[in-house]
Amino acid sequence: MFLTLKAFYWESVKIFSKLRTYIGFITIAILIPMIMLLVRKYGFDIQSTAFRSLENSFFFVGTLINGLLISYYLMNVLWVHFPFFIVLVAGDVMAGEGAAGTFRMLLTRPISRFQVVTSKFLATFLYTAAIVLFLGICSVGVGILVIGGGDLFVLDKGILILVQGEALLRFLLAYILAVWVQTTVAALAFLFSTISNNSVGPIIGTYAVIVVSLVLSVLRIDALESIKPYLFTSYFEVYFAPFSNPIPWHEILSDVIHLGAFILIFYLISVVIFMRKDICT
Amino acid sequence: MILKTNNLSKRFKHRLVVSDLNLEVEKGQIFGFLGPNGAGKSTTIRMLLSLIAPTSGNFELFGGDWKTQGKKVYSKVGALVEAPDFYLYLSAERNLKILGELNGWISRNRIYEVLDIVRLKDRARDKVKSFSHGMRQRLGIAQAIMCKPELIILDEPTSGLDPEGIKEIRDLIVSLSKDLECTVFLSSHILHEIEQVCTHMGIIDHGKLIVQGEVQNLLRETDFFVTEVSTDKPQQALNLLQSEPWVKKVALSDEILKVHLSAECRPKLAECLIRNKIRVSSIIPRTSLEDYYLSLVKSESDK
Repeated sequence: MFLTLKAFYWESVKIFSKLRTYIGFITIAILIPMIMLLVRKYGFDIQSTAFRSLENSFFFVGTLINGLLISYYLMNVLWVHFPFFIVLVAGDVMAGEGAAGTFRMLLTRPISRFQVVTSKFLATFLYTAAIVLFLGICSVGVGILVIGGGDLFVLDKGILILVQGEALLRFLLAYILAVWVQTTVAALAFLFSTISNNSVGPIIGTYAVIVVSLVLSVLRIDALESIKPYLFTSYFEVYFAPFSNPIPWHEILSDVIHLGAFILIFYLISVVIFMRKDICT
Repeated sequence: MILKTNNLSKRFKHRLVVSDLNLEVEKGQIFGFLGPNGAGKSTTIRMLLSLIAPTSGNFELFGGDWKTQGKKVYSKVGALVEAPDFYLYLSAERNLKILGELNGWISRNRIYEVLDIVRLKDRARDKVKSFSHGMRQRLGIAQAIMCKPELIILDEPTSGLDPEGIKEIRDLIVSLSKDLECTVFLSSHILHEIEQVCTHMGIIDHGKLIVQGEVQNLLRETDFFVTEVSTDKPQQALNLLQSEPWVKKVALSDEILKVHLSAECRPKLAECLIRNKIRVSSIIPRTSLEDYYLSLVKSESDK
């Protein structure tokens, strides 16, 4: 256990010593303030687009646009765009070592393959959590700083207005759930990374699976209903659940368990593959 | 016995790469594992280091079966398998720290000590990507010895080095064996390297072990010690040496005498020629491991 923790520490050091790890962080750090500044300047246009459907029923005075609302909309990037930053790193964790030949050094140490793969998986989770929470902090924090805070106005089977304090707590919960969702993506990329000996394959492979699964998940075709429970993307929406009233705890728990099962399966397959793998590179 | 393989075999799909290999390496030996490219040397080493699983057979490290001992036994083993691949984006010191920590614990002092041995102390904080091939090779040796192993396994450690680097690594291996009192298992396809560095050797070809034993004994047994002599009277020297009982065989080729005799008799050869007023311009001993090796490999492929 101690050796696994030690290996986890060093795997984390390795991940955070690579330039590619910071591509996501840098992009977020540039893109989010830019979006917020643009919204601050052209906020009205976004407001009219977002609430056009309600204009006949409601009369809006002032602006509903604030940092929290924009952060809420920005969470949509977590579907397809954000996973790129996850697979970029997770897809390289195992395959990168295979391609570089460093497994030869690593695996001739008195550490078991199970410990190696587990420590790498934990380090991948650490990166995933760090970048998702960074997105959350940047999005909500910069949003409030640039555009300003206030009540969060959410459309969910009607209108839900959350006071700032309550909204922040719900953002926290949403981003914790987003970490779990992105960990599923990371686990899949990790699995592909274990199979492959170069990191391009896992990145493309994971993305292909995400896109196909997402398409199948959102299509409203009866014939596809039976396979949807087996698609991990069917549970991606869970991070929007905290913005419902009341919070559907039962539904959240169910989705978290389902995603957890996918993570566990991807991890266990990775372990089995890696333990049986001949290191020939 | 430090290392013993029992009918160790490895098959990749339909190709038998290593076949019923039985090696024995005892404490203190510098064991040369010799064979042409593709003979199965690296595959054998990868099996010994648990990088690949044997198809059949087993091996023992420090007297215990590898399956029952688990990975812990590798705390007594230092290895360098083929090219020395490190984390290029990390410094030499950090690379050694990571690898050393997985052995249990490694002090900063020890890291600098081994970097000093391989003459990389002043580059400790530089990223490995800035290192030349020779420097990486030396760093590879450093990581292999840093945890004071009892057995060092080196797979073609001089591959890709310039002559100066090759000499440096060879000298380092010999001194490590003496200073650390450890056993060295060294694979190479360079005959001269084995001859210069190793005390014992095994020859592998097409995955099969052809012969193993003490290097000098193997050579002595096979009459491949050749001493080339240049004189001003080669024909007279030939006649003279043919009558000497301590000369096993002598032949004249291109005005150079090729004398087969044991290494101990070489001084006697010079003395004999000079005493008979034959001027000697050179005496070059050639322990022709190459001839020996080629004869073994040839006879094996003829079977």
